[in-house]
Formats: sequence, C-alpha cells, structure tokens
Amino acid sequence: MSVKYIPVQWNRNKWIYDAVMLTGVALFLWVFLYLTPEVLSHEQPVTAQIHNARAFGACAFVMLTVILCIGPAARLDRRFLPLLYNRRHFGVMTAFVALTHAGYILNWYFAFSSTDKLVGLLYANASLGQIAGFPFELFGIFALICLLILAATSHDFWLKFLTPPIWKRLHYLIYAAYFSVAAHVSLGILQDQKNHVFTVLFILGASAVIVLHIAAWLSERREIAAKDGAWAEVACVGDFREGYAKIAKLANGDRVAVYLMEGKLSAISNACAHQNGPLGEGKIIDCLVTCPWHGFQYDVRSGRSPAPFTEKVPTYRLRVIGDMVEVHPDANPPGTYVEPVPLPEPPPDPARDPAEQGATA
Amino acid sequence: MNVAEALVMVMQAWGIIGAVVAAVFLTIGIDRIDADARGAYIFRPLLIPGVLLIWPLVLWRWWQTETERAAWAERYRPVRASYGIAVVLMSLGIVAIVTLGLSVRQSWPADIAPLQLSEGARQ
Repeated sequence: MSVKYIPVQWNRNKWIYDAVMLTGVALFLWVFLYLTPEVLSHEQPVTAQIHNARAFGACAFVMLTVILCIGPAARLDRRFLPLLYNRRHFGVMTAFVALTHAGYILNWYFAFSSTDKLVGLLYANASLGQIAGFPFELFGIFALICLLILAATSHDFWLKFLTPPIWKRLHYLIYAAYFSVAAHVSLGILQDQKNHVFTVLFILGASAVIVLHIAAWLSERREIAAKDGAWAEVACVGDFREGYAKIAKLANGDRVAVYLMEGKLSAISNACAHQNGPLGEGKIIDCLVTCPWHGFQYDVRSGRSPAPFTEKVPTYRLRVIGDMVEVHPDANPPGTYVEPVPLPEPPPDPARDPAEQGATA
Repeated sequence: MNVAEALVMVMQAWGIIGAVVAAVFLTIGIDRIDADARGAYIFRPLLIPGVLLIWPLVLWRWWQTETERAAWAERYRPVRASYGIAVVLMSLGIVAIVTLGLSVRQSWPADIAPLQLSEGARQ
C-alpha cells in the first residue's frame, strides 16, 4: 500500500486553521507595533528595526507558548483536539517568525561589523562567568536552532523515516527550546524593563505552559497507575459499538485499539504502520479497519493489510472477566493472527426502564 | 582564529556536508528506502533544510533501513515515559532562570539629574 508524498496536505479545516493563525500573527504584530507602545515602554525613540525585532520576538514567544499549551490542554480536555491536529503548521510559522526576529537583530546591531555578522554576534559578549550581562543571545540561538530542526522535520516523510519514537524524541527539543527562550527573555529584554507589563505577561505565559504540562503529566500518571497490572482494563462489555473501537492506554504508555466486529472482539496496535495514524478512530468495513490519516487498511484479527499489500501491525490478546474487557500488555509480533473473543451480552441495567432496554437491544 | 570564528566555521562545514548528504539522499537514497517517495519529487526540496540540520541522523537511519537492523518492536515503543522528565526539567529550569533573571535585574531612578563624576578630556 502506498500513498505518494505531497508537499503539504491541505484540507478545508487546515485552510481555516492557517487563516486564523496568520490573522492572529498579523493582529499581534499590529497591536504591538502601533497600538501599545506606551504600555510596553516603547514610547522611547527606538529605531524601526529594534521595534520590529521586539515585535517579532514577542510574537514568537506567544506562538511558542500557545503551541505548548495546546498539547496538554487537548489531553486534559478533548474539546481542544481540533487545535492539535494542525499544530505542525503553527510550529513552522513560529520558526519563520523567530527567524525574522533574529534577522532584524543581526541586520541592525551587526550591520557594520568588520567580521561576519554571526561571528560578531557570538564575539560581542563573552561574559559567560556572570549572570547579569550574560550573553543571552546564546539561548536565543539555541532556541532558534531547535525551532528550525522541528520545523524542517515536520513533513510526514520524517515521521515515517525516523520512526515515531525517534521523531518524537527529536521533537522533545521543543521543551529545551522553550526553556531557552525563557532564559533568553529573562536575561535579555527583562533586564531592561522600566514598567512591568511585559514582565507580568511573560511570567503568565510561562506559568500557563508549566501548569498545563504538569497537570497533564499527573493526570496521565494517575490513569496509568490505575491500569497497572498484567492485564489492563479496556472498557465494559456494554460500551462497545459494532464496527468501532475502544482505545486502551497500557501502563507502558502504548495504545491498543479494541474493535467489536460481528459480535467478537479483536485488538491491534492503535498506531498505523505507515505513519502511526490513530487506527482506533477508524471504522471497520468488511473486516478491515481504515486508518483515518491515509487510508491504510488492516484486518483487525491479524493486523495485516489485505493482499497484495504487506503492512502489518502488532496484535494483542483479550479476555472478558465479568463485565470487563481486558487486554494483555505484551504485543504479539506484527501480523500475528489472534482468535476473536466473543462478546457476552451486557448484564441488564436494573436502573433502566425495561421498555427502554427493549427498544435499544 | 577565535572561538566565535571557529564556531561559525563548524556551522559552515556542517552545512556543506549536509548539502552533499541531501544531494545523494534525496536523489538516490530516498527511493531505495521509502516506497511512498518513488515517483514523488515535488516534496523533496522541502526535506533539504531537515537533511542540512540533522544529516548524521539521516545517515544513521538510512543505514539502519538499508540493513534492516531496527527491531520491529522499536517502532511501536512509546516514548511517553520521557514526557514527565522533559516537563519537570523544563518547568524547574524556567522557574530557576526567571527567578535568577529577576534577582539580578537592576533598576535606577530615571528622572534624577545626571551627575558629572569626573572632568572630561579637554580639547
């Protein structure tokens, strides 16, 4: 099975998302440059280049803060999921905004440097042994390199080529980049603030990122601790819908999609072999589940794509204990057939009206 | 040569090697290791910046894929376990650096008259 790569995958939602994002960026720059100079102490005569550099720098910080808030917010509340699905475009745009900030700095402060501008930037301040006056530019350069790596490896190809675990680890650079940006701001522009509006806004933004991430992490830990043990609970018998999956999160963090097909349960990895698309969000048609991202299909009993295609995903063993469906956390090698487990009738709910039960049976 | 010039030279060398790797990988390697890339050419220029930046990783993964050395389970191994470490380190680092930055911040009265500390050089 093969889906040819294209430069950018667009759809209507992505157009709307990108339009809102670009409008937001333009609005932020306009407000920063023209509406609030006195609030941000820019009523002092600074050159247009410095003013622009500050505007783009502040914009990059805000964008990075929003990006970092989207992930944990979506994990804590699924209503934020639509914001998560096109976050890559947001990240690429942030890298361009940060690059523009760096461009203004280099082309203003080092415009007449007798050496290369970059050499001038690295050479201008070598006070590495002190905190006040530390060359905060180094943090900015490191953050910019991280953002460029993340933006440059955001195409689908990289996820498949590097494999999701390596790609994900590489993209953990976002946390190092955000710390670096915080250091760049703290030891840089924050040292020069005569009013505290920017300081307060900066601390609020960074605090939002910290609080959301810690909350999401603790929430995940609680979930995983509750599921620790040899067999992991998936869902109650009555929760399954014919043709659809319930997604279970294992103690090791992996996700398993458990499908109900023709009254029997089968479990495969939730990660598509192509680019780790969420198989559990797909629907079963003719024994095959279709990945919602690129249409790759798998037999849920064996984890194999239909011939002549050769993609395979791991399968899992299931059992039903009382009213609870459980999955064993040890994955079978990709493509291993597992006999589907018949789903028993859910026990009648005494709290419900018998007439209603008959109507939904 | 000072440290700054050496760093910039290392960056330039990194970029030149990356350009050579990009040229070979995007014309020959990519077709050998990824069926989805065969016959798809328009997206390849988009990969150039990525190869320039992380070419050692590209070479390593290319070699791994060609020699089929990666175990099947690796692909499905989640990395969420590292999330907590990354988040805690980032949070502690931010709190520390912001506190440090604010503690060394200097303030001065902006509206007092300037005081001449020494005679200027006579013309």
